[in-house]
Amino acid sequence: MERKVVFPQVGLPYLLLLPQVSITLVFFFWPGGQALYMSVLQQDPFGQSVQFVGLENFRLVFADEGYLQAVWRTAYFSFAVTVLAMVPALALAVMADRVVKGGTAYTTAMLVPYAIAPAVAGVLWLFMFNPSIGVLAWWLKAAGVDWNPTLDGSDAMWLVILASAWKQVAYNFLFFLAGLQAIPKSLLEAAAIDGARPFRRFVTIVFPLLSPTTFFLLVVGLVYAFFDTFGVISAVTQGGPAGATETLVYKVYKDGIHNLDLGGSAAQSVVLMVIVVALTMIQFRFVERRVHYS
Amino acid sequence: MPITSLKRALAASTLAVAAASPALAATEIQFWMGLTGQGGELLSRFGEDFNKSQSDYRVVVSFKGQYPEQRAAAVAAFRAGSPPHIMQMFDAGSGDMMGAKGAIVPVSEVFKRAGLQFNPADFIPPARGYYGLPNGDLLSMPFNVSTTVLFYNKDLFKKAGLDAEKPPKTWPELIDAAKKLRSSNAAACGYTTTWLAWVMLEQFSSRHNVAFGTQGNGRNGLDASLTLTNNPLLIRQVQTLVDMQKDKSFDYGGRSNDAAAKFISGECAMLTQSSGGLGAIARDAKFQYGVAQLPYWPEAKGAPYATTIGGASLWVFSAPNRTVAEYRGVAQFLTFLKSDKVMTEWAKTTGFLPATNGAFKAMQDEGFFTKNPGRDVPILSLISAAKGDNTNGYRFGRWTEIRDVYHEEVEKALQGNQTAADALRNTERRGNALLRAFERTAN
Repeated sequence: MERKVVFPQVGLPYLLLLPQVSITLVFFFWPGGQALYMSVLQQDPFGQSVQFVGLENFRLVFADEGYLQAVWRTAYFSFAVTVLAMVPALALAVMADRVVKGGTAYTTAMLVPYAIAPAVAGVLWLFMFNPSIGVLAWWLKAAGVDWNPTLDGSDAMWLVILASAWKQVAYNFLFFLAGLQAIPKSLLEAAAIDGARPFRRFVTIVFPLLSPTTFFLLVVGLVYAFFDTFGVISAVTQGGPAGATETLVYKVYKDGIHNLDLGGSAAQSVVLMVIVVALTMIQFRFVERRVHYS
Repeated sequence: MPITSLKRALAASTLAVAAASPALAATEIQFWMGLTGQGGELLSRFGEDFNKSQSDYRVVVSFKGQYPEQRAAAVAAFRAGSPPHIMQMFDAGSGDMMGAKGAIVPVSEVFKRAGLQFNPADFIPPARGYYGLPNGDLLSMPFNVSTTVLFYNKDLFKKAGLDAEKPPKTWPELIDAAKKLRSSNAAACGYTTTWLAWVMLEQFSSRHNVAFGTQGNGRNGLDASLTLTNNPLLIRQVQTLVDMQKDKSFDYGGRSNDAAAKFISGECAMLTQSSGGLGAIARDAKFQYGVAQLPYWPEAKGAPYATTIGGASLWVFSAPNRTVAEYRGVAQFLTFLKSDKVMTEWAKTTGFLPATNGAFKAMQDEGFFTKNPGRDVPILSLISAAKGDNTNGYRFGRWTEIRDVYHEEVEKALQGNQTAADALRNTERRGNALLRAFERTAN
């Protein structure tokens, strides 16, 4: 039997919804609509000559070899960032779960990187790995590695991957820890009595029960790597050298802000919009359904 | 405590408002600059000096980001109907600004509207040529004028057994010096450069009087194209850098200004950089340094020619609701900035060139250039050297983007992933596509 709460007045529920709806309208639908509209126009930066060109901008985007390369580069980058942000987070969470004394302090310390702005995180890593002045770059050189992210594309790529992943470890850690703490102790104890060692308990019980969390973090991590890493890339490599770190979202920024190609940039952001909608739908379909496991 | 400090802050701000309120009657002039550090501080101070000197106008100098970010902000502000009155824009953005006919008011026209005297002939000829119209009117007011020079580390030259008072004049001499610096282990890198496209494409072409585009390097029409593919000298220059990169006699230091740090830290012994970069080098370098003109290839016919102009100029925006009083304020502030007193202080402190003949003469008369050896180098390179058909600069739309295309393609060549000729061929192809797109929307 379902119980419905019925408001006596008609206006109140709408009034209560108003703040959320207006925020969504102003900050999501309006800019989204603007992007859609601008993606079918070609214009000069100052908006003095505007012409409707239909899907011409999209045709140009997909005909651009640089764009297709950026698609693959983004896939590689996002996958690497997501994996590198999840594996250490899981390891740290498993260890934090075992800490008896001072667990809160440890957990809090783990969360600090998440509070750091992407651009600041980028600059931090940039300094550590700067070929001229960086401490870690100096160690790498001493170890005989020819470290040069200014000119070597894969060095630059690894630098932005590490900086982006490092920031996200804290977030993943928190979710993994919560997931671990929700696993019924009785299951683990029963397995222990049956003679399962810690590693076996982890493989057969903990990891399967964590799978909804893992899948959720995978999707969130991919979305993060796709869209939120712009600050890191902007601070560290500006998409270079030779475009080696130019991801899709950085390209939107570069073409829109630096190059003032508003039509092309808008068309690219519409493509990104489609991608994020698809990722969100996957998440709703597979994660939300399976999240109640206990 | 928090409440008390809040009260105190409120009281302080009330006082500040009260103190500032007489100025509220003044017409406000928004000035957006693209400079940080020493140059930015000085420019802000000029704004304050102007405000103290009169009470009709109040100039607000603000920094909205580096040139490209600032330009994007100004574009957005213009579309919203309230652009800044004056915006400082770097050389590469000039073609775009000139294409935005309805958005800007030519500086000569601003003075006409304000009813004030303005003579474009006050400015040094290269600046007038770069920012002017064929009829002599100026589109924007030259302010921070620079050109490329070669900085070199005298200490490292001595260490390598080179003559510290004889900087390389030509590219072969520079290559020899760089190799010697490397083979003697005096420096980790022989030579590096800032602003790759500006130095190796724009300034280099001017130095050898070579065109890199049709239609007088884009100055005579929007239908101009780039001509890089069949340009042996430009290809040779890129190939030289690629070859030198192998033994670090040249070491690539990144786009824009990044490579300056490699020189200042003592890692690289030579640097081609804007003469406006002098201030930072003078402040931070812990060694003796010298300044020389941009090297040239001696076999190029007639070389060396003059280098061309760099730096930035001041653009005046139009807006539907601009009043004559505002244009008068703009004109007065520009007059203040181009006065000998301000211009000489600016040039002396920053290493930029004096943009006006008057300031140049004032500095000569007080013997500034003889007292400060090396400071005459950019002037000799820009003003005294031979002029040709292709030493007046270029004018292309979407040039900031084309510069980045050049950077990208040359970076690929430096990585060893394509030849120098391919780098320039690809730059030409991609650059021309952008020029055609610009031609389509700029009408």
